[in-house]
Amino acid sequence: MNELVQHQWLIPFLPLVAAGIQSLLPQRSRKLSATLCIGAMTISCVLAIRAFVAVLGAEEGARAIANFTWFEFGTAKLSLGFILDPLTAAMAAMVTFVGLMIFINATGYMAEDENFTRFFCFLSLFAAAMLGLVVANNLLMLFMCWELVGLCSYLLIGFWYFKPSAAAAMKKAFITTRIGDVGFFIGILLLYWHTGTLNLYDGGHGALEQAGTLATLAGWWGLSVASTIALMLFFGAMGKSAQFPLHVWLPDAMEGPTPVSALIHAATMVAAGVFMVGRMYPLFTASSPEFSSDFVMHFVMWVGCITAVFAATIAVAQFDIKRVLAYSTCSQLGYMMMGLGAGGFVGGQFHLLTHAFFKSLLFLGSGCVIIGTHHEQDMRKMGGLRKYMPITFVTYLIGTLALAGVWPFAGFFSKDLILLNTFHVSKWAWGLGTFAAFLTAFYMTRQIFMVFFGEWRGGAGEHHGHEEHEHGHGHHEPHEIPWNMWAPVAVLSLFALGLGWWEHGYHHFVAPGEAAAETGKGVVMGLSVVAGLLGIVLGWWIYGRESWAHAADPDPLVGMIGGLFTFLNRKWYIDEIYEVTIIYVTDVLGRFFGLVDKLVVDGILHTIVRVAWWISQIVRWVGDEFIINGGFDTGCSSVRGWGRIFSKLQNGRVQTYFRVLGLGVAILFIIYYLK
Amino acid sequence: MSITLGQYLMLSGVLFAVGLCGALTRRNAIIVLMGIEIMFNAGILNLVAFWHFKHFTTITPLMFAIFAIAVAAAESAVGLALVIAIYRQYKSVDVQEMRALKG
Amino acid sequence: MNAAFWILAVITLMGALLAISLRNLVHCVLSLILFFLGVAGNYFLLRADFLGAVQILIYIGAVAVLILFAIMLTRNVTGTEGPRDMFGLGWWAGLITAALVAVAVWITLRSAPEAGVTSAGQAVGSVEAIGRELLTQWVVPLEVLGVLLTAALIGAVVIALEEVRRRR
Repeated sequence: MNELVQHQWLIPFLPLVAAGIQSLLPQRSRKLSATLCIGAMTISCVLAIRAFVAVLGAEEGARAIANFTWFEFGTAKLSLGFILDPLTAAMAAMVTFVGLMIFINATGYMAEDENFTRFFCFLSLFAAAMLGLVVANNLLMLFMCWELVGLCSYLLIGFWYFKPSAAAAMKKAFITTRIGDVGFFIGILLLYWHTGTLNLYDGGHGALEQAGTLATLAGWWGLSVASTIALMLFFGAMGKSAQFPLHVWLPDAMEGPTPVSALIHAATMVAAGVFMVGRMYPLFTASSPEFSSDFVMHFVMWVGCITAVFAATIAVAQFDIKRVLAYSTCSQLGYMMMGLGAGGFVGGQFHLLTHAFFKSLLFLGSGCVIIGTHHEQDMRKMGGLRKYMPITFVTYLIGTLALAGVWPFAGFFSKDLILLNTFHVSKWAWGLGTFAAFLTAFYMTRQIFMVFFGEWRGGAGEHHGHEEHEHGHGHHEPHEIPWNMWAPVAVLSLFALGLGWWEHGYHHFVAPGEAAAETGKGVVMGLSVVAGLLGIVLGWWIYGRESWAHAADPDPLVGMIGGLFTFLNRKWYIDEIYEVTIIYVTDVLGRFFGLVDKLVVDGILHTIVRVAWWISQIVRWVGDEFIINGGFDTGCSSVRGWGRIFSKLQNGRVQTYFRVLGLGVAILFIIYYLK
Repeated sequence: MSITLGQYLMLSGVLFAVGLCGALTRRNAIIVLMGIEIMFNAGILNLVAFWHFKHFTTITPLMFAIFAIAVAAAESAVGLALVIAIYRQYKSVDVQEMRALKG
Repeated sequence: MNAAFWILAVITLMGALLAISLRNLVHCVLSLILFFLGVAGNYFLLRADFLGAVQILIYIGAVAVLILFAIMLTRNVTGTEGPRDMFGLGWWAGLITAALVAVAVWITLRSAPEAGVTSAGQAVGSVEAIGRELLTQWVVPLEVLGVLLTAALIGAVVIALEEVRRRR
């Protein structure tokens, strides 16, 4: 194991090399590109599994590290390192394996895309960054890879950049996650400030090994330093793992190709937040007689809990097959956070693993459906696919049952573990979690019945609502997909079936010290099974009894809950709320900066005229547009206004930028020396 | 009375400010580049002064200076090529007129 | 020693000041050469002989000539600048910013604890030592630098040739 850790760097390095080579390939060498990508991933996968087996065979809780110095400045040195411990080993094996399956599937999904090589280049780069994140024994390296996966996510969401919705979604994803990353970065700085190292484990000197000391120091807001740092790091995780209120980017990220959704926005990258919390868990749990860790842990738990329920309610009322899954992913990530916050390290991380398998299975399944129905994503225009695509149907059903938490599928075990942990911390959170389980079962059943049962509602002559590539197929009958698409799905479904049985093994594997909660197991398990079954039965009652005849019919649920359905369909109007609150504030700030810019650039005389003009503008804007038009229209116009004002800052003259830069430097220096 | 480090620091500081002033006030792109060269030289002079007064027994700071000079030479070559390209485009090297990136 | 420093300092400063304030571009470059010479003299004074030689070769031999070429390619050879650009709003903004930076540097230096250091140990900056170091400990950065210079060379050619290629 100590020898193996020396080779850990190979796992991310091989996909990186593949990405580098692919970036130089011409557009037409599709076969070579796919071969490189899949070949590198296969070798990585073999290496990761070898490491995994070695860790499995080692004594419990074993951990090997390999640190090296990156560079020195003066007496301070910055080292990076790799780690091999159960958490990393399991995660790396999962990422490489699921990634490999998705790559194979993507060769089918992207077969007709002209930018095939670019797609696989980005995928390889993503795999490299994600694996780097997993094997990092250093917070700085973790952060760099964290940003790299964010970049790849940005590039891949906007892979079809000529679609305006994709271009908007890529920016939204990048900026929203960046907001959380500010917190993450502050956390890293605090950690370095207090411990002088960013190595996680370093033979007693690592940052995590000092967590106990940090817990005794007073940090901000009456928390200990350890808790403060943990809270800051958690903000980063909230952005990356799409936790409420930073969840808004994930559903829009579905604009990317479906294999991307499966790999990045279901199995790996969004789980990176959960993984990071797990990796930094000693900081989250570190408590001392003076300071307890309760606040941070409860914060994590409640954010997770709220996200789980909130996203599940939205998923109930979506019609886009991928959006349902996206909100479901949000909800499941909330579950993981809830489990971690409730002190269930094993539950949270185990759910991460099982979820990665069955959710990527579901996404790839939905990709198969989309290809099989000639780029149709609206579930209202599907139906009856059971007859046309039997293999997809069976695998999709397995994924659904796993997600709904039906015994003996994988989701059942991990979800129960989380609920059990939560049960011991907060009955309320547990109740909400069980409710979310009910909703999960319900919306997945709804999806199954809408897509696979009833009669085919797409039909010729129907207008295609989505402007994805039309391939000019003469017929619009759905068809079964080629083997390279269903084979990976079938392999994943095996894991969705069987992985749950590894629960006890996993427990001893990652956290031999953590006692498995036993009390209340019967109640929790019983209730969650009942909730799941209730959801399935209710889904059948509403959507399965009589099939949906026409695509234009309203959702049967509308008749029962009425306006609430629209409310959920519009995602609780969160985007709109953001537009009238946060974006409004930024707008005002933008105007303020615009004013400052005028002062610096155009001189004082000019500015006096401008000030008067701006005041009248603001008065006009507030008076006319905000009060009279009010509401959402204003939100939209404020976005435009914000852009207009920030664009004025860019007057295109390099000397102006230079002057402002110089001024800033001078002011910083003077402040520093006057202090 | 022998030379002190402070004198050199002062000299390079003043040179830096002069170069900055040139880069910030002149409208001719070539003079802006010259100002940047002056700033570069001031920085390197600073480095060499520190080497002379503080780390005379090691050679590493000199290496830094050599590498910095080489990089600065590459920079000025590319910068001047850009100036020529811009002149072809706009028939002018006035930096105030280069505002195609205006928002 | 001190007298040498003051003379060189005045030469350097004069060169720099003239380089950024003269109106005739060719005169500016000539002043810049004076400035480069002054800096090279300072290097000699600081016993960085090799660096002084490099300074003369690279800056006066290459950069200054390059700038002259740029002037010739962009202006008529006399290089008179157009309208005066002094005393405009932008000019004042630039001047004030530069002055502020100068003040900041001055404050920093005034409070620097080691400003009075005069010591000079044993000289190590001989050409032989530098050559040996460059080809042993620093060989990788040296190669990287070579690649960088090649890339810059190609880049500069490509940028400047753009028009020709388009015309073809």
